[in-house]
Amino acid sequence: MNLTNPPTARPSLPDGASAPAPATATAMVDLHDVHLTLVGTAGPVNILRGLSLAIAPGQSVGVVGPSGSGKSTLLAVMAGLERAQSGTVTVAGNNLSALGEDALALFRRRHLGIVFQSFHLIPTMTAVENVAVPLELAGRRDAFDLAESALDSVGLAHRRTHYPTQLSGGEQQRVALARAAAGEPDLLLADEPTGNLDAGTGGAIVDLMFALQARHGTTLVLITHDEALARACDRLVRISDGRIVADEPARAAAAAAARRPTGTAGD
Amino acid sequence: MQSLPIALRFARRELRGGLKGFRIFLACLALGVAAIAAVGSLAAAIVTGLERDGRSILGGDVELRLVLRPASPAELDWLTARAEVSQVVQTRAMAHAVANDRRTLVELKAVDAAYPLYGRAVLAAGPGAPSEAPLSLDDALASGADGLPGAVADPILLQRLALQPGDRLRVGTQDFVLRAALQREPDRGSAGLTLGPKLLVSRAALEETGLVTEGSLLFYFYRLKLPPGSDTAAFVTEMKAAFPEAGWRVLDWRNGNPGLRQFVDRIGLFLVLVGLTALLVGGVGVANAVKSYLDGKTVTIAILKCLGAPGQVIFQTYLVQILVLALGGIAIGLALGAVAPVALAALLEDVLPVPIAVGFYPGPLLLALLYGLLTALAFALWPLARAREVSPAGLFRAAAAPPGGWPRRGYILATGAMFLALAAIAVLTTAAQDFALGFVLGAAASLVLLRLLAVGITRAARRAGRPRIAAVRLALASICRPGAATPGIVLSLGLGLSLLVTVALIQGNMNAEIGGRMPEEVPAFFFIDIQSDQVAAFDEVVTAVPGASGLDRVPMLRGRISAANGVPADELTVAEDQRWVLRGDRGITYAAAPPENTEIVEGDWWPADYDGPPLISMEVDAARGLGLAVGDSLTVNVLGRDVTGTIANLREVDWSSLGINFVMIYSPGLLSAAPHTHLATVHAEGAAEEALFRDVTDAFPNVSVVRVKEALQEVNRLLAQVAMAVRSAAGITLLAGILVLAGAIVAGRRTRLREAAILKVLGATRADVLRAMIVEYAILGLATAVVGGLVGWIAAWVVITQVMGAEWVMLPGTLLLTALGAMALTVLLGLAGTWQILSQRPARVLREI
Repeated sequence: MNLTNPPTARPSLPDGASAPAPATATAMVDLHDVHLTLVGTAGPVNILRGLSLAIAPGQSVGVVGPSGSGKSTLLAVMAGLERAQSGTVTVAGNNLSALGEDALALFRRRHLGIVFQSFHLIPTMTAVENVAVPLELAGRRDAFDLAESALDSVGLAHRRTHYPTQLSGGEQQRVALARAAAGEPDLLLADEPTGNLDAGTGGAIVDLMFALQARHGTTLVLITHDEALARACDRLVRISDGRIVADEPARAAAAAAARRPTGTAGD
Repeated sequence: MQSLPIALRFARRELRGGLKGFRIFLACLALGVAAIAAVGSLAAAIVTGLERDGRSILGGDVELRLVLRPASPAELDWLTARAEVSQVVQTRAMAHAVANDRRTLVELKAVDAAYPLYGRAVLAAGPGAPSEAPLSLDDALASGADGLPGAVADPILLQRLALQPGDRLRVGTQDFVLRAALQREPDRGSAGLTLGPKLLVSRAALEETGLVTEGSLLFYFYRLKLPPGSDTAAFVTEMKAAFPEAGWRVLDWRNGNPGLRQFVDRIGLFLVLVGLTALLVGGVGVANAVKSYLDGKTVTIAILKCLGAPGQVIFQTYLVQILVLALGGIAIGLALGAVAPVALAALLEDVLPVPIAVGFYPGPLLLALLYGLLTALAFALWPLARAREVSPAGLFRAAAAPPGGWPRRGYILATGAMFLALAAIAVLTTAAQDFALGFVLGAAASLVLLRLLAVGITRAARRAGRPRIAAVRLALASICRPGAATPGIVLSLGLGLSLLVTVALIQGNMNAEIGGRMPEEVPAFFFIDIQSDQVAAFDEVVTAVPGASGLDRVPMLRGRISAANGVPADELTVAEDQRWVLRGDRGITYAAAPPENTEIVEGDWWPADYDGPPLISMEVDAARGLGLAVGDSLTVNVLGRDVTGTIANLREVDWSSLGINFVMIYSPGLLSAAPHTHLATVHAEGAAEEALFRDVTDAFPNVSVVRVKEALQEVNRLLAQVAMAVRSAAGITLLAGILVLAGAIVAGRRTRLREAAILKVLGATRADVLRAMIVEYAILGLATAVVGGLVGWIAAWVVITQVMGAEWVMLPGTLLLTALGAMALTVLLGLAGTWQILSQRPARVLREI
């Protein structure tokens, strides 16, 4: 995928000199010295090695880095899907290391929306049912009303009774976005949301995502290979080998560059 | 939070997708449940039939049976004062078709005008006779214009003697006119093992046959119809008190056929256990199906978890789906099981001597439902519990992997509880709890053993290193790779095979026992009711027949043990396997010298010229079963008189020799003075056999002849029917096994398709792939056959030697054949399931997967 010619990388801070924002009580996400080693069938993989990161409420952060640098694992740790072996993980005021499995599920339901690269809609449910799932799990009586308006907000009201296989990739991701945003989460996590889409469709998704974020003041963590897309966020974090190697403000400087390709891609 | 309503909603959405992938799951449950429900319903139908028609089967509210003597006038007066009485006399006799000179043994039954007190005898008009004028039994038996009394007979007799209604038939010294075939005899169910077809005559005509002499083996039945509202039990008590020494066997309509009832119970139990095995085998299929379904749902489960679904909701969502499907499968099984008796009733009508009360029996169906539900849960809980452990973080990587390892402790305990409940129901709902318990322990041990075998094979394959031959290397890799079908194949094939080997070996042993070593040793004929004054002439006739040999003749009386050491028989504690000794009349004899080939195991035989108070030689197992030893006293009711003797010695008897054997042999003296007849056996073959039959029946019309071959055929026929039932049930288990096997193989197809495609891309020929698969399935089949064969062999040995108390014959051929067959089946099914793979173009497969 190539949305644009990536702008020349700005000189980043030297290794080890990246200054994470100080952990404050008001931070939406606060990771401190997080270590994580995953042991898969082929040996230890995806290592986080003493990673610290604080994100203020309402901020959007683009995370970039090469494959295997630990981006996705970082997201999984924030979502409480992976447990850090050491360090503290605080999200929306919850110390995730202290929560049990069900408490984590509850936490996700209350505070999180997640968008995946491969959409991950439930194949046996229609679009509106997919969007309603987290609301149903939260016990909302108006789950389906909210789901319909969420679908409407991504322009898919007319596709609500379609099953995922009957939707195009872009439509599926819009449904996924509606599902992630319907509960008005405090934190939206997006893992390469445009990774499986062509440039034009991907751009539309990104526009939608930023629009939703802006409307609700949601905190956004966006993982991507696409430097330009990352620069559309307020802040750009660069990860390599399980550590943050750069952390800098982005949108102010690169907004124009980042917005341009999404608007013009596909022309 | 209320998780169940959400789980129900999610489950409903997932179920909209249909039942794809659940066909084998449904079939496994349906099959097992159907087997159990059908057996249960059929047993209930038979027992209900026995109870509903208890009075007509027995022939009255109460039946008294006397052997060798009719009731005394005092007894008869007492009975007629209190009830309507029907007298029936039964004996064995030779029927002789006058026109064509054919003759055969019949069960001769002489009935009075009151017969039958309950039910109705149905006569069929024979061929040629006007069918619109069915005869009444009374008319059929009455004397006709020619002065000859009438008779009606079992259609088999008409066939055997080539008789038509209207033909003449001689019994003893009296000619009868056969008036009709007896289509339905209301009380036929009360007879035990019969040696010949039934022939009905009137009570008066019997007296003219010359068969009624003192000492002849005649059975006198007095059927009583009590006034309405009478208390049967109280009447029986009163009667026993009035005639304590009568020596009659008393049955009332509620237990009219204890033997048959016990038989139905036993066979029913056995078949239910076989059905349960089918269900257990099916359970393996359930587990496989649930596991592979949930493996396919890994991503969905991960998504749900990401969206905040707690593990409980996940577990419940899929539990609900599995339960709904299980109930569907069970419902199919119950429907099949409920209608099975209707279909089988027609088939069994001729085999069973009792009416089958076809109907809807909720009890057995409920039991089958319970078995099905518990089995489904027992096998599904484990994979369900593991599914909730799916790691949602996998969504951020290429694929979410199905979780491995053990589920949480609560689920392990719940699974254990389900299996325990299954075992408890199997044991508690049966009368033969020892047997059921043995089955449960055996089944549990087999399951564990086969599971261990699967683990062992997988480990061995992993450790085998890298054999030189490519096909073997590939096969081993296939066996031990994660998610291999190995456990499923080993469990399903192993259980099915164990049962098959068990059944085959038990049947083989029974056949060997009956057919194997008999022919040379068995006499050709038993001659019954030889009168004392005919003995010398009888010996002469027999020895005059060339080829007849081994004449063995003994006096014979009938007696019923009434007390031991002064304790009445019904108060004795008797070992289960020896109860038959007390149950009815036993043949008894007297002898000066011990019979040939007798082994005295305790005490001494009496002197040849002994002439003191009665001494008894008793068969050792019967004596021990009754708790008797040398020196104890035994009271036997002979011809209505109690004769008390002292046990002098204990003997071994080889019952299987089919010679003349008695439980009790008396010293001569008291008994030789009582009226009695003689019993003889003679060996003869071929032409000599026919000549002997003819000469004896010509010279002694009153002597009954039992052809041992025919009697054995009769026994074999009964056994064959039992064996048939057992084989059918075992077949159902095998079918379940094949289903599961096929399911396990199909489940691995996708992986195999891909594997084979890659192999082909790498240059493997079709033959290479085929060889690897054959080796793989042969290894699995062989290992399973060895263990399954062993389990089946042990089970059969236990049943034959411990349960049946018979001698064990090792049948290596049967064992080997069954085991090899199973292996061949595995290889064939495996290849059939993967045949398509060989012809696939690799490029297409790799593109699709």
